[in-house]
Amino acid sequence: MKTRSISAAAVLLMGLSTAAEAASWTVDPAKSQLGFTGQQTGAPFTGRFKSWTAAIDFDPAHPEAGHVSAAIDIASASTEDPQKDEALPTPDWFDATQFGKATFEATGFTPKGGDAFETSGKLTLRGVSKAVVLPFTLTITGDQAHAVGHAKLMRTDFGVGQGSWASADYVALDVTVDVDLVATRKP
Amino acid sequence: MTIALPSRTASHRYNWVAIVLHWTIGLGILATLAMGLAMAHAPLSPLIKFKLFQLHKSVGLTILMAAMLRLLWRLAHRPPPLPGDMPAWEKSAAEGTHVLLYVLMIGMPLVGWALVSASPLNIPTVLYGVVPWPHIPVTAWFGWNKPQASAVLDTIHAYGGYALIALLLLHVGAALRHHFILRDTVLRRMIPGLPWLGRPTLRRG
Repeated sequence: MKTRSISAAAVLLMGLSTAAEAASWTVDPAKSQLGFTGQQTGAPFTGRFKSWTAAIDFDPAHPEAGHVSAAIDIASASTEDPQKDEALPTPDWFDATQFGKATFEATGFTPKGGDAFETSGKLTLRGVSKAVVLPFTLTITGDQAHAVGHAKLMRTDFGVGQGSWASADYVALDVTVDVDLVATRKP
Repeated sequence: MTIALPSRTASHRYNWVAIVLHWTIGLGILATLAMGLAMAHAPLSPLIKFKLFQLHKSVGLTILMAAMLRLLWRLAHRPPPLPGDMPAWEKSAAEGTHVLLYVLMIGMPLVGWALVSASPLNIPTVLYGVVPWPHIPVTAWFGWNKPQASAVLDTIHAYGGYALIALLLLHVGAALRHHFILRDTVLRRMIPGLPWLGRPTLRRG
């Protein structure tokens, strides 16, 4: 009888802790932005993806169990410059017909002091998967979380920029992925 | 009281449509030639050079459309007569220059269009940064090897540019000769608003 109650308590505790670790968040697309910053012949430009989804699990008490999984509709990239927007989906750049989705999957957020965190995840872009580090700040107010981060990557690691574009002559190789997410805790 | 329109005078001048197209094309040619020479020879920063290329493409395609309209208009409307006492060789030279100008006004933008279509850089053309303009699928349609084709087209476009400069000098020089040396009405036929500035005469002064 005693054994049973202990195991019952253990099950209950496990259930509670799982629930806590799996604190899920719902991203508010209207308040969130996923974009990128690059440089063309010395002039910086920014773009953003208009269509993407992200699933986030994060418990402030267990950041190491945090998890993020994002899927980005690559054809939705927009720079507000018709010329860049014409070029981006072509095979020289994103090749959006062949590689319609980019994904980012990361588990475990490392606290860096204060509201700073870092996560290392797998970015799959243009059919190439590589580890990308995403440092970010996270502020939680009540049931709302706001995460802002910038991940640096080399576009050529993923084959973004073929032929003459694989050099930095016209378009810089360094690209920053800019993340600005607002999410609410799922009840 | 009735006011008779000076119909005889009007028929000795180009129609306003022809005048508008002529000067639009003329300004466009001056701009594209200046940009083209700067793009090819001036020590410009990559950013400025890139922007010049884009503007050059936009103005060049504007010339193409205006020149085709001008050609259609010219075929549908007889141009005003040349002075009766103009020697036959001068008339033939004028006619020949005009034909060559039409060939280049339409040919140069077409070669340029093929050139950007064959460029291995695949830089999209967006007219004045607003209207996307399609490229010719040169590999699919003509089986062109892009790097080879763009090198050949680049040479043709460059020599075409120099030929255009030569024809332009001939055209402008001849017009100025008519106006300032022969003192006839040939140039005034193409100047906007002139009928109200004095009655032209078809005789050489």
